[in-house]
Amino acid sequence: MGMTDPAGSRRAAPFSSLETSRLLSAADLAALTDASDAQVKEALHEDHIPGVAIPASLEKLLGFGRSFSWWPLLFGLACCAIEMMATAGPRYDLSRFGMEAMRASPRQADGMIVAGWCSTKMAPRVVRLYEQIADPKWVLAMGSCATSGNIWNTYNVVQGIDALIPVDVYVPGCPPRPEALWEGLEMLRDRVKQSRHAYDGLRVIPARAAIGE
Amino acid sequence: MEAIQENVEIPEALKVVFAKLEEEFGDKFLGSSFFRGELTFTVSVDDYVAVATLCKESPDLAFERLDCLLGNHYPKRAEAPFEVVLHLTSVSRNVRLRLKVPLAEGQKIPTISGVWASADWDEREAWEMYGIEFLGHPNLIRLLTTEDFVGFPLRKDFPVKGTVGGRIRTDLKGKI
Repeated sequence: MGMTDPAGSRRAAPFSSLETSRLLSAADLAALTDASDAQVKEALHEDHIPGVAIPASLEKLLGFGRSFSWWPLLFGLACCAIEMMATAGPRYDLSRFGMEAMRASPRQADGMIVAGWCSTKMAPRVVRLYEQIADPKWVLAMGSCATSGNIWNTYNVVQGIDALIPVDVYVPGCPPRPEALWEGLEMLRDRVKQSRHAYDGLRVIPARAAIGE
Repeated sequence: MEAIQENVEIPEALKVVFAKLEEEFGDKFLGSSFFRGELTFTVSVDDYVAVATLCKESPDLAFERLDCLLGNHYPKRAEAPFEVVLHLTSVSRNVRLRLKVPLAEGQKIPTISGVWASADWDEREAWEMYGIEFLGHPNLIRLLTTEDFVGFPLRKDFPVKGTVGGRIRTDLKGKI
């Protein structure tokens, strides 16, 4: 058990407010944040720990919560948006996963589904919408056009939206069927649960890097 | 001038249109054709605005609507590689008409946005896609491409493949 580790070897608990929890002592919590899942499960059976416990770090709990209420931006660029609507509709019923509430305002959204091809004229608007979404945020590139420009290797099509904004999940297809988008959203939920972002480690988003800002 | 094909039955309303335009402009037309129920006149640049105005305002013609105005590029036609095409509809008389205006490279054409207001955006598009300049246009700026775009994309010599100016255009600066 990690309970008896000397204080110096422990990682600091990420959220100090938890240390004042009446359910767990600070020492217990610190141990739990370091402990593996098996150790946590073992610890939960210990008599001296009350029945309610946070079984992992708070970040995991937040990720768990977010993954069941990930609200995408109500934003469609082209024909892929039709499939996105079908996915949100009753037949495929995205509301099972808490994703049906597509927000018309980027301030209320947790990310965006770039559904369709992006023209060079539209590109500044896409970047602006992305930047207006509050952190943490995730981006799903839906369809071949948003992924790579598809067959439109031409003067007015952005060759993949990842040239402008960081993308978490790519869904191929032209357009992808709702099942494909659903699968992509499941992959996205895994990332949400783990609090992993495409922009991790990026100093600036690609669009700003390209214009030297 | 090509004669109207004799074997094809011409609708009465279209006969009236043909007779009226022949009466008013006659020899000034560069040509006319009747094909699959569609009447087309080829107009020179000099008569273009007069013909368009007559089509709109004459009660015998009454083409209230400009369905579309578009450009064309025929690189093999040496003397007149460009063309402006108008599709007119008369809602009250249920008849349609097409006008074609052949243009040389760099030749300018007067605007008809004063006749049909909807020509405004159509002429902007024809200008940005083919480089056909419309004289007297109130707002001849780019409509579909970005402001600093170079070239006329729908000309046949424009590269079909490849992005112009790299994957990300530098004109995003200050806009995101």
